[in-house]
Amino acid sequence: MTTSRRQHTLEVLVENEPGVLARVAGLFSRRAFNIETLNVGPTEDSSISKMVIGVAVEGHSLEQVIAQLDKLVSVISIKDVTGKVKEVHDTQPDYQN
Amino acid sequence: MAHIPTANGTAMTGATSLVKSLEAADVEVMFGLPGGAILPAYDPIFDSSIRHILVRHEQGAGHAATGYAQVTGRAGVCIATSGPGATNLVTPLMDAAMDSVPLIAITGQVPSAAIGTDAFQEADIRGITMPFTKHNYLVTDPDQIPGVIAEAFHIATTGRPGPVLVDVAKDALQKMTTFNWPTSIKLAGYNPKTTPDAQAITDAAALIAQSSKPVFYVGGGVIKANAHKELRQLVELLGAPVVTTLMARGAFPDSHPLHMGMPGMHGTVAAVTALQKADLLITLGARFDDRVTGKLSTFAPNAKILHADIDPAEIGKNRHADVAVVADVKETISALIPALKAALAKNQPDLSAWLRQMNSLKSTYPLGFDQPEDGSLSPQHVIQRIGQISGTDTIFTAGVGQHQMWASQFISYEHPRTWLNSGGAGTMGYGVPAAMGAKVGAPDATVWAIDGDGCFQMTNQELVTCALNNIPIKVAIINNESLGMVRQWQTLFYEGRYSNTNLESKRVPNFPMLAESMGCVGLSCERPEDLDKTIEKAMSINDQPVVVDFRVHRDAMVWPMVAAGTSNDEIMIARATAPDWDSQEL
Repeated sequence: MTTSRRQHTLEVLVENEPGVLARVAGLFSRRAFNIETLNVGPTEDSSISKMVIGVAVEGHSLEQVIAQLDKLVSVISIKDVTGKVKEVHDTQPDYQN
Repeated sequence: MAHIPTANGTAMTGATSLVKSLEAADVEVMFGLPGGAILPAYDPIFDSSIRHILVRHEQGAGHAATGYAQVTGRAGVCIATSGPGATNLVTPLMDAAMDSVPLIAITGQVPSAAIGTDAFQEADIRGITMPFTKHNYLVTDPDQIPGVIAEAFHIATTGRPGPVLVDVAKDALQKMTTFNWPTSIKLAGYNPKTTPDAQAITDAAALIAQSSKPVFYVGGGVIKANAHKELRQLVELLGAPVVTTLMARGAFPDSHPLHMGMPGMHGTVAAVTALQKADLLITLGARFDDRVTGKLSTFAPNAKILHADIDPAEIGKNRHADVAVVADVKETISALIPALKAALAKNQPDLSAWLRQMNSLKSTYPLGFDQPEDGSLSPQHVIQRIGQISGTDTIFTAGVGQHQMWASQFISYEHPRTWLNSGGAGTMGYGVPAAMGAKVGAPDATVWAIDGDGCFQMTNQELVTCALNNIPIKVAIINNESLGMVRQWQTLFYEGRYSNTNLESKRVPNFPMLAESMGCVGLSCERPEDLDKTIEKAMSINDQPVVVDFRVHRDAMVWPMVAAGTSNDEIMIARATAPDWDSQEL
């Protein structure tokens, strides 16, 4: 992986409702933002899902990606967790549970 | 949210619950056309206090609701059935999204058990409209109807306004439910910020007080926020020049000496140059659209940017902001006035040289046009006279193209909400249905649609709706028998090869006869000497829609012009004619 593309990881809490994945994926597509990775899973609150999105920011600022995502009514919160997800995995591997 | 409807707690069908919800949201009028999936809702509509105006095409319903919203500041409502009924609303929804119009679209959907089976008249309208609705819903449970309708109005009318679509499955309309209008709305993912940060206001005032060449770059948000009075106070406090974008015409009086006109591709030399030479753009509810900036990398090269907008995603989208204020622009301006007074008390910049330069440009390069040498009608003159004869309380709508630019340039706008057009989307055919909605929203005002012969042929069927529903609008067809703006580009950029822009509309259709057939008065005008009396005749008819076929010279062009993709510095005042910059002290 070259370093010319800036990688970011966003942790996005969304309403757990039909079509929410299409809303997020459609936003990235129509604004020409790049999704590198995408994981969707449940949270403790069954009405809320968590998306972890790997974004390659190229030609856009991360602020613009976050601001556009935040305009989706179904998006509750966005956290930039770049670097942090990896650390968590390093210190607390899943198999310890 | 102001009142609890008396129907609360009553058992009824989902359809009745939908209509009760619209009544609870204080809807006074909606534009629509029934069909199978939405039909259950049309039964309670028959008994409702809400006026339903039966259109001839759903696109007309959508633009009419937009015209109503633009004139009244309230949400406009349109309603259609599933499938093609719903897809006919797609263009108005996209149009409303681009111009930040509070529009509610209600659509019927096939029964929930049939969704996904390619049922008759099934279309995934929620999926289709995701890119250009502020939010949208598919309702399959009748118990959800009041809550969703309340949320839809809340989302459409607060923050940056925009369209919301509510798609309701037929069985949700047919089933029984208990009506419960919500007392409050909680949306975890939607909390628009309306009050400006104190620090941002202080920084903004300091930035303004430091500048010696500031310009107010005013966008449509100022009209949406009803901030025109506050804007005028702020402008007069600083005494700096003002430009109003295509969406902001009327936000600041055209007659005001500090008004330099409209910026952008067909803006005035003074407005375009003011932005290019400024050291500060005081950007209020505007979004650095490409039609304003021209080639972005060369736009306002020496200017710092103060950007006030309610939508955080507009900040830095196209141009970096040195100071950003995210809030309702009326609150922003109201906070800025005392802050600027305090800042100016410490440091009052001398703007006299800057104003002298701008006023020199304004007087040297006023908007103008040549009368055709063959003695035929000048389209600009027709539009200018309509504006002068009908007066500044008149509401004007336009289609898209040359006539739209001329209507923006040659009519003097003194009040907000008197100029309605399709700015962001550029929707040909917006003019007639938007005028219909405007007239419903402001029945006492004179409403003129300035339309082109191309645009008129896209949506004129709504004149039938106008004729049958006592909506006496006036339509000026600026008939140059061409897709005029496209033809202008062919003249300038395609060696005059007029591929498919000749509409032959001076031969077919016969516009006055077409108008008469739809229950309107049809008039025609071809000679300059008949112009005023034709307009006065149209002004005298107030019990029927009037359509005037103004048969104008074909080769008139819109000037000034900044060609697409070029720098604003390359503005032309006529073909191959740049302003004489050497004679200007800039």
